[in-house]
Parts: sequence; structure tokens; C-alpha cells
Amino acid sequence: MYTGQYIPGNSLIHRLDPRVKIGAAIALTILTLRGGAFTESFLSAFLIALIPCSGLSAYQMGRAFKPVLVFFALLFFVHLLFTQGKPIPPFPPWRVTVTYEGLYRGAFTTWQFALLICNASILTMTTLSTDLVNGIERLLRPLRRIGVPSYDIAMMVSIALRFVPTFLEEIDRIKTAHIARGATFGSGPLFRRILAAKSLLLPLLLRTMHRADDLVVAMEARAYQRGPRTYLKELSITWPDYAAMTVIAGIICLHMLWP
Amino acid sequence: MIKVKDLIFQYDKGGEQIVKGISTEIRDGMHVGIIGPTGCGKTTFVRHLNGLLTPTAGEVWVDGMHTADPVAVLKIRPRVGMVFQNPDNQIVGMTVEEDVAFGPGNLALPPIEIARRVQESLAMVGMEKQSKRSPHILSNGEKQLVAIAGVLAMKPRHIILDEPTTYLDPSARERVLHVVNRLHKEGITIVHVTHDMNEIARADRIIVLYEGRIAMEGTPSQVFGHVERLQDLGVGIPKIAEILWSLRETGLDVRTDIFSVEEACKEISSLITSQQKFH
Ligand SMILES: Nc1ncnc2c1ncn2[C@@H]1O[C@H](COP(=O)(O)OP(=O)(O)OP(=O)(O)O)[C@@H](O)[C@H]1O
Ligand SMILES: [Mg+2]
Repeated sequence: MYTGQYIPGNSLIHRLDPRVKIGAAIALTILTLRGGAFTESFLSAFLIALIPCSGLSAYQMGRAFKPVLVFFALLFFVHLLFTQGKPIPPFPPWRVTVTYEGLYRGAFTTWQFALLICNASILTMTTLSTDLVNGIERLLRPLRRIGVPSYDIAMMVSIALRFVPTFLEEIDRIKTAHIARGATFGSGPLFRRILAAKSLLLPLLLRTMHRADDLVVAMEARAYQRGPRTYLKELSITWPDYAAMTVIAGIICLHMLWP
Repeated sequence: MIKVKDLIFQYDKGGEQIVKGISTEIRDGMHVGIIGPTGCGKTTFVRHLNGLLTPTAGEVWVDGMHTADPVAVLKIRPRVGMVFQNPDNQIVGMTVEEDVAFGPGNLALPPIEIARRVQESLAMVGMEKQSKRSPHILSNGEKQLVAIAGVLAMKPRHIILDEPTTYLDPSARERVLHVVNRLHKEGITIVHVTHDMNEIARADRIIVLYEGRIAMEGTPSQVFGHVERLQDLGVGIPKIAEILWSLRETGLDVRTDIFSVEEACKEISSLITSQQKFH
């Protein structure tokens, strides 16, 4: 299990066309990054409402935040400590100046990032990676005319995703082999750990190259060639997709109209 | 029909010849076993049969098409399916069904047709229930069955298997071989490279490769009859034949051209009854 992994379901959001979901996620990301307090509040309410609509529990969404908590803390404190402005009274004796502006910026930026994580997680938790890739490919297809190789990009992304679990297994296997010969991981002084990690990298790299060689041959044998191909699943826009697009358009209008 | 004429191949210009002049014909619907010691060029040879490699000299024809012709090769690939040794390195899809759809997708077939072929092919190898699963959680045997389904989805007339059972446990091996036998019965040509003589004991024809040449060729009984010669070439014979040969060496009059358990049982039991009568 890794963060943002697909959670099977049949919710309203699960059933939307991946293109619509990708487009919506991009639109919401831009709004989040550009918005002021009003837009952020509104987006927060919208995303929180979206969680049950996606058939996700608060716990599942909370887990998506676990790996980024340290980053959030860092983000908050950097803004808190390095923003110029009006100092908050009790702090000068500690030789650090904490300002009202810093507090606000820290809180606001962390809030923004929380929204981004929530937004991205809803997308990846309700969309199979194959559908994501499929959607990206269709969205990029019009750009073929200006030389964007949409089929190849989609192929590359999907193969990379397909081999993530294989790599994790492989690292495990190499680790076990090293441990069997007396190596230790995740303990000891830092430089020992780095050295140990390096000893994993080389065999992993070698195996990956070997695997890539094999894979190319196997793909060629199955009539792979660069250029147009078709997919098992045909994407189609239906009325829930139009409804979703209308909602997103509404949010964008709201953001624009607010001074 | 696959026709090979004076095939010579070297990986690097001026390097060693790996295939040193092979000529043979593989007729439609045949089951051909290819054996030989490690490094004798089996993989190199069979990769010519679907145009993955093109001859340095000589020619390979598949159903009348020349594998060195870059246009024809696009038609040859779906006709000649290939299953490889390592199950992990030939699966490209994120789900079983997506993987099986890879081949037909490359042929740019319409989605409805792809869906039909995916379903049919998975049913043929008995993996239809796993269609939505992620391939990495399957066993090696199941992965290999998915790989076969992926080939079947292109509706091939010939299938080449390059040591497909190497990484499988005995029961998975049985399952894969069972599927291969069924495909053969349905009229698909099978070219089966293997190190395990038992797997090809029932083949129509066996080709023994040695240092890039055909050292022996014939029916299993013709080939496995030459035990000493095979030992010189560095390959064994099926276990059953080995037992019968050992019996013969002890002075018993048994046939040694038997490769199935049932027949061997019959032969041995008839031997025992005849000996009992004798006493
Ligand atoms: N890509 C390559 N480049 C150069 N030499 C190669 C390449 N692939 C194989 N060879 C060499 O060609 C020879 C035959 O290899 P090949 O893989 O065809 O043998 P094989 O009969 O399939 O062996 P095995 O039973 O181990 O699979 C070997 O000596 C090998 O080193
Ligand atoms: Mg080989």
C-alpha cells in the first residue's frame, strides 16, 4: 500500500470519465495556488464534501496526509520565521522574530498544500492508474499535431507504473540477499546506512537494464510499434460528466467574480 | 508454414556466428520441440521465426512472407506469437485484461473487438476470473498463462515458446503444458524450446541444435533412440525412456521408443506377466 493508491469503489466520482477528473483536478490545483482566503475556504468546503461523494472515509483521506506531515511542519515554520513584518510581542527575548504576517503566511501556505494533497488524493484514490494513463493520452492527443508523442508518453507512464510493485519486490529481494550475508539496513550511523543503500542501487540498476532489454523484445514480439494504437476501454462522456464540468465551471466563475 | 533456408546469424559484425546454417520447414499445425545444450543458439534461432532477428545470411519465410521485409514483418508478428522464459519481463499491462489487450491494441483493433478477444483468450487459458487483477500478485504460472493469453489475443497461427516453464513449479508447469497441448489440438503450430525432454516427448518432431547447427532431427522415437549420441551432444532423454533403456541394459527385452507413462506401464506389466508365465 502506498499513499494515494486506488481504492476500489463505485461512487459517483469513481464513475466519472478520467479526462473530466484530470481536468477538474488541474483546474482546482490552479485555483488553490492562485486563490485568496475566500477561494480557499470555498475549495475546502467543496473538497470536504467531495470525500463522501468519492466513497472515501475520513480515515482513508487522513492516511494520505501521513507522509507529508513533516513537510507541512517545515513549510509552516519556514514561513513563520522568515517573513518580515510586525513582530508578535513575546518572541523577541528568544532572539527569533515571529511576525503576525509570518503566522498568517505559514498557516495559509500549509492550508493551500493540504488542499492540493486532498485534491490529488481524491483523483488517484478514485481512478485506476490505467484509466489515468488512458485519460492523459486522450487529453494529449490533440497535441500530436505539434509533435507531442501522446501514445509513447502514455506507454512510458503505464510501464513505469506497472513496474513499481516489481521494483519494490526486487529491492526487498536484494535486501534479503544482503542481510543473509550479514548486512544491516536502517540501523547504525548515517554514513553506514547510505553505504548500505548504495549497495542496493547497483544490483537494482543492473537488473533493471536486463529487464528493460527483455521487455523491449517482448513488446516488439507483440506487434508494438510507435504510433496509433487502441485501448480496451473506450472513454465516453455521459451526463454525470457534464454535471461535474458544470460544477467546476461554477467554482471557477465564483473565484473570478470575487474581487 | 515457416520455412528457414541456410540461416546464418551473428550478433556483431565480424563476431562469432551463433547460427551456422540452418535449413528446415515447420508445417502448419505441427508440434516441434527444440532442444540442445545451453548457449547452442536455440533462443537466437527461434527469434528469427517472428522477425525479432533478421538473418545475416539466408532467408526465413512465414506463410510466404519474408521476415527481412520491414512491411511484411508487421503482418508476421501477430501471426507468430512468442512466449518468453521470464514471466515478469513480458507483462506490460497494469491489469491482466489490459495486458492481454496490449497486442490487439497494437493492431489498432476497435475496443469492442479487443474486449471480445481478451475475454476469449483469458477463457482459453482459464484465467478469466483474474482479469481485473494486477499481474504482480499472480503466481509465476499464472503470469505465464496471462502471457499466453496475450499472444492468443492476436489470433496467431504459430506460437513459439522459449523455455516457458523454467521458473515454474511442477503443478504450474503441468497447467501451462496442458494449455499448450490444447492449442496444438486446435491447429496452432507449436515450436517449443525446452531443457526438459519430458515436455516434448509427444512432439511431432524434434530438432536438436548443437553449436548453431541442426545435429539431429526426427520423431521423438528416432531422436531419443540415439542415447549415446544425445549424451555426446549434452542433452538427456525423457525419464520414461531412460528407465526403459536401463531395463534393456539389464538384459530385458523391452521397447525403448515409449514416452508416455500409460504405454510404459503397459509394456512393463506385459513384460512381467510374460516372465511369470515363463517360470
Ligand atoms: N544479444 C547478444 N549479443 C551477443 N551475443 C549474444 C546475444 N545473445 C546471445 N548471445 C550469444 O549467443 C549464443 C547463443 O545464445 P542463445 O541465447 O541463443 O542460446 P540458447 O541455446 O538459447 O541458450 P539457453 O539454453 O541458455 O537459453 C551464446 O553464446 C550467447 O552468449
Ligand atoms: Mg535460450
